[in-house]
Formats: sequence, structure tokens, C-alpha cells
Amino acid sequence: MLALAGWFIAASALAAGTLEDVKPAGEDRFRFSAVVETEGAYGIARDRANKLEFLIDPQLEYRFSEDTRFTAIARLYAEGFDHLEPGQPGQREIASNSRRVLLGDRTDMELRELYLSTQLGKAHLTLGKQQVVWGKADGLKLLDVINPQNFREFILDNFDDSRIPLWTVNAELSLGKSNLQFLWIPDRTYHLLPESGATFAFTSPLVVPQAPPGVAVDLRPIERPKNILTDSDVGMRLSTFWHGWDLTFNYFYHYADFPVFFQSLSLAPSGAVVTVSPRYERNHLFGGSFSNAFGDLTVRGEVVYNTDRFLLTRNRPDSGGVTKSGEMSYVLGLDWFGIRDSLVSFQLFQSWLLNPTSDIVRDTSDTTTSLLTRRHFLNETLEAEVLWLRNMNEGDGLVRPKVSYELRDNMKVWLGFDLFHGTRNGLFGQFAQNDRLVTGMEIGF
Amino acid sequence: MQPKMRHTLIALFLLFPLFASIAAAEALPAGDEIARRINARNEGEAVSRHVTMSMTDRGGTERVRETKGFRKYFGKEKRIVIFYLSPANIKDTAFLTYDYPEADRDDDQWLYIPAARKVRRISASDRGDYFLGTDFTYEDIRKETKVGIEDYAWKTLGEETIDGHRCFLVEQIPVNENTANELGYGKVQSWVDAEIWMVRQAKYWDVAGNPLKTSQFKDIKPIQDIWTAHQLISENHKTGHKTVFTFKDVDYGRNVKDEMFTEDALRRGF
Repeated sequence: MLALAGWFIAASALAAGTLEDVKPAGEDRFRFSAVVETEGAYGIARDRANKLEFLIDPQLEYRFSEDTRFTAIARLYAEGFDHLEPGQPGQREIASNSRRVLLGDRTDMELRELYLSTQLGKAHLTLGKQQVVWGKADGLKLLDVINPQNFREFILDNFDDSRIPLWTVNAELSLGKSNLQFLWIPDRTYHLLPESGATFAFTSPLVVPQAPPGVAVDLRPIERPKNILTDSDVGMRLSTFWHGWDLTFNYFYHYADFPVFFQSLSLAPSGAVVTVSPRYERNHLFGGSFSNAFGDLTVRGEVVYNTDRFLLTRNRPDSGGVTKSGEMSYVLGLDWFGIRDSLVSFQLFQSWLLNPTSDIVRDTSDTTTSLLTRRHFLNETLEAEVLWLRNMNEGDGLVRPKVSYELRDNMKVWLGFDLFHGTRNGLFGQFAQNDRLVTGMEIGF
Repeated sequence: MQPKMRHTLIALFLLFPLFASIAAAEALPAGDEIARRINARNEGEAVSRHVTMSMTDRGGTERVRETKGFRKYFGKEKRIVIFYLSPANIKDTAFLTYDYPEADRDDDQWLYIPAARKVRRISASDRGDYFLGTDFTYEDIRKETKVGIEDYAWKTLGEETIDGHRCFLVEQIPVNENTANELGYGKVQSWVDAEIWMVRQAKYWDVAGNPLKTSQFKDIKPIQDIWTAHQLISENHKTGHKTVFTFKDVDYGRNVKDEMFTEDALRRGF
């Protein structure tokens, strides 16, 4: 990380030395803004789903010129009930220099983003801690895997808030109608998964190994990649605009952000013990995305091939409880704007395992759909929407009706529900007891 | 005077107003010609400007957005990008449009939503949708001070004075029902400055024939020899909602880069 800091300083000096003649006026050089948000949740089925959070995101920009700017975004976060991350989370998934500073059990501070963005001829460089978002899908992620996610609230939190920014070298080269992006990510930070006892701790057998009754579990610390060079992630994206189509071609060589839970069974004097050794594994992602508009309809989608998916099996002793398979996935989305001030959006996600074995816990193919209807009223000050996500394999899902109102120029309030359904086997159904009423307020200044 | 001659003179006297009005009407340019002159007006190859968007509802509650906008012609294709600078909760929202000269080709539009950090392709077919909570439609934003010649049947109604300037009053009727539904207008009347060929005022009726809104183009003055409206006002008579765009730092001489009009530029923001 020292090397990255060195680059950052060098790039700053470089940018300062290449100032364009278009310089902002003195008062425009500094831009300070902040968003204050508070959100409360009332658990309909159990108190454990209650939440009372407060966050403030101050943002500072300094503009060397119109093409070169420095951005810093911090966050102060507090949560009153301490159910989402009970106690002080170990943050073992997070690289040491990217961790939040914990101020007790209920409050923390975080440097969210810190980057320098500059144009050098046809190249655009963004150096520092940042978010890089790929893909066209909403709600579920195929290409949007550059940054890991904090699953403190499963997928209920705004992705911009739950995505974990990474120290990244992001270089983009303009090629006329096309753009070539290179990513180098030495930051070895992965998904932050809720610990046992948290409201949204994963329990579904699809993602968490299940010990047989009477067998003790010895969960070992996560084995993290250690080398800043050989264990860094690299990615490349070519985006282009071709005959009305927005197209991208993507490649990402990375550690998958979910740890693989390798298991071994042993006999101790006290009885049988399953030792679970979580470890991150490499994957090659090849993919692409597309979007276009046809009258009232826009079509968008993603196609992804992952070479190395590690999947839980029912057969522990001889394979570590895990098997490896390639996986093909796609999402097809249709957005219909046919009614004024309204949007109806449907998405179909499907994935297939290319080398399945008979004892894999998940199905060989998996299908999830999403349906979003949204309407604006009163010059877009009032917005009503319903989002329904449903997994066809497990028959579980999530329904999220929500109404938000722009009360003042910079103040928004909202009221909604997060309603899960299905059995505890499903990714959504495992949280069927976490239905909640949510209300919040956001103020920008 | 012989009776025959007297009758002839009386007839000529009575018909004089009719001849005069016909002559005056013939002196007025045809509606199509006025539309063509509006679109032929020089608006520079490219421009950058700061736009303050003020939106006030019937109850007097005002919302203000500070934006930076750029427009550039690529041949006959017009590209516009708008970056939102404040308030903080919508900062970095950005809108990009490619307005193609071919009448039968839908424009392309993208919207960057900072909460998702994604650029979304949005439909350009419903041209009458209101642009991000304002009283200007997406079509108004794309056309700026130009007009859709092919969308309307144009007819000159006469001459009137607006803000002390001689204007031609032109009536615009959408060419068919589908176009009317797309635009959201059943009729438009425009007051076009007879000297600089800019619309100074326009009144709109909805497809059912009810008064819909009135737009005014104020504070028109030359910037780098290009006539420029520095204030656009649109008031919706149905909702009582009003939008005022105030322009400053208008610059037609600035080097606006081609790369500004891309998805990646939307993502990076301004």
C-alpha cells in the first residue's frame, strides 16, 4: 500500500504539472458537500430486525483544473440497536488499511473514497480508493463484481452505500467511439459477511455448510491472499457505441469475494468435529453487456462466464465439501417507458453450472426474476415503486414497496417495507423472519 | 361624377381594407419559412454554460439545482450533456442525448444515476415527458431554441409585440395524433422575433385542447455574436408549477471536447 501511496503522490505532482489552461475560479476550486441520512426499521416479526442508523458522508473536492480533481469522501456511521453488526466486527475480510475505525460497538468512521482523477491526452487516470461499477443489471450482480459488498443488510442497502471502495489504479484510454479501461487492484478486500448472530447472518445451506446433528464445528480464520502483487486483481473493459448499441467486453482476473468453505471431518476425544477452513479462490471472468432503446422499450443485458466457481456439496470427506465448476450466467432486462412518468422493468437472471456433480447443494441451473414498477408524481417530488425479486428454484423472494417524497429542496423522506418470503433454504427465504417497515430521511447540503 | 364611376369608387373604397389585409398577410412569411429561419439561426458549433434550474410548486416551495451544460454539433447531429452540481443528494446526476437529424431515427439518451453509479439507457420516444422534475420536456431540452419543423403544420397568424419586439405569431398543429401524443401538445402558438428569429414566447395546449403551459425566453442578448436567451421560464397552468432556467458563463468559443459526450464522461462527472 505504501507503493500505491507513492503513486498517488507522483500522480498528484504529474497532474499539477499538466494543468490545462481552463482553470476554475478560486471559489470553484473547493467544493464541499455532505449528505446526512437517518433510517429506522421496525421488525414486523421480531425485534432483531429493528434498526436505527445515522450516517453522514462529507465530500470534499479540490479542482486543479477542469480535467484534474482530487476527491475525498468520508463516513461517520452509527446504529442504535447493534443488531446488524453485533459488538465490534473483526473485519477479517477487509485489508488492514481499508478497515473502518470502530468507535465502540455502535459507531464507526471510514474513509470511503480518496482519489485523484486526471486527463493525460487521450488517457484518463483515476488513482486511489474508489468504486468501479460494471454492468447493466439492477439488484443482482453479474458484472458488478469489481468492488466487494458489505452484506450487513443483505442486499437491502443502497449498493452505493454497501459497495466497499478499493485502492485501485483505473486507467481509461479513449479510442474515438470506444474506450479501453485497465484496472489494477492491489487492495485485497472481500465481501464483508455478517457474523453469526447478526440480523442478516447467512444460514442458507446454499452458501453456508451445514454440520450434521451432534457434530461440532471448528471454524478457522479466513485464509487471506498475502502478496500485494501476485494476489492483486486485474481487469479490462472495452466499451463502444455501435449502431445504437452500448456494448462492453469485460475480463476480470480476481479472487472471488465469497470465501470457499473447505471442510474436513476428524475425530476428537470429545467426538466428531468438522473443521471449516474458509479460503479465497481465484477466478477468471469473461463477459459483456449491451443496451439499446427501441421506441418505448429499452433492452439491456449481461453475459458472463466464470471459469472457477467453488460450490458446496453434500459429500464432505473426499473433496473438502466443495467442488469446482465453470458457470455461464446472463441477465436480460426490459424497461418499458410507455406510460408517462412511469417505468416498468423486468429482468431475468439465469445461470448454469458447466461441470456439475450430482452432490452439489445448489441446482445446476438457477433462475431469478425481478419486476420493478415505478411512477413519479408532482414533478418528480413524489415517487412510488414496488420491486419484486423471486428465485424460481427455491420459490422464495423479496417484495419492496416504497414511497419517497422530496419534502424540500434538499430533503427527502421515505417509507417502505422489506418483505421476504420462502423457506430458510433460499437466499431470500432465510430472512423470512426479518420483514420490516422502513422509514428514513436524507438531507443534502 | 357619373353614377357608374361613383359606384366603382365606392366599391373600391369598400374593398380597400380587404386588399390591404391580403397585402399585409402576403407580407408575412409563411409558417414553414419562419420555422426554417428559426432553425437556420446560428447557435455556434459548441457552447458551455452554467444553468441554475429553479422549480417552484403551487404552494411556493422552491427547489434549486445548479448544473453545468455542454452542447456540440457533430456534423448535423447535436449532442447535449448536463451535469448536476448541487444539491448534494442529486449531485453527479448527468444526462446525455444524441439528437439525430434524420426525422425517422429515434434520438439516443442516457442518464447517470449516482445512487446506482450506473449509466442507464432511457427511451427517447416519449418526447413529452418532463425533464427531471422541470416544466420543460425532454424534447424542449433537446431542441433548445430550435423547433421540430417536421412535427407540426405551421401557420402564420399575424404580428404582435412581445417585450417591445416585433414578433410573428405562428400556430403549430402536430402533423398527426401520434406525434401529438408523443409531444404532449395538441397545439402550440409561438411568438417569433422578426429580426433575430428566436422564439420569445410560446403557449401550449394539451392534446385535449386545454391550456397547458406558457414558456418565455427572456434576457436575450448577443454573446460572441450569437443571440442567447439567458432566462427560460415555463409555467404549467394545470399544476401551477413553474420552472426558471437562468444561464450564466455562456461561452461559444470554448474548446468542448468530443469525449465530454460519452457514457464514461457521465460516470466521471464534472
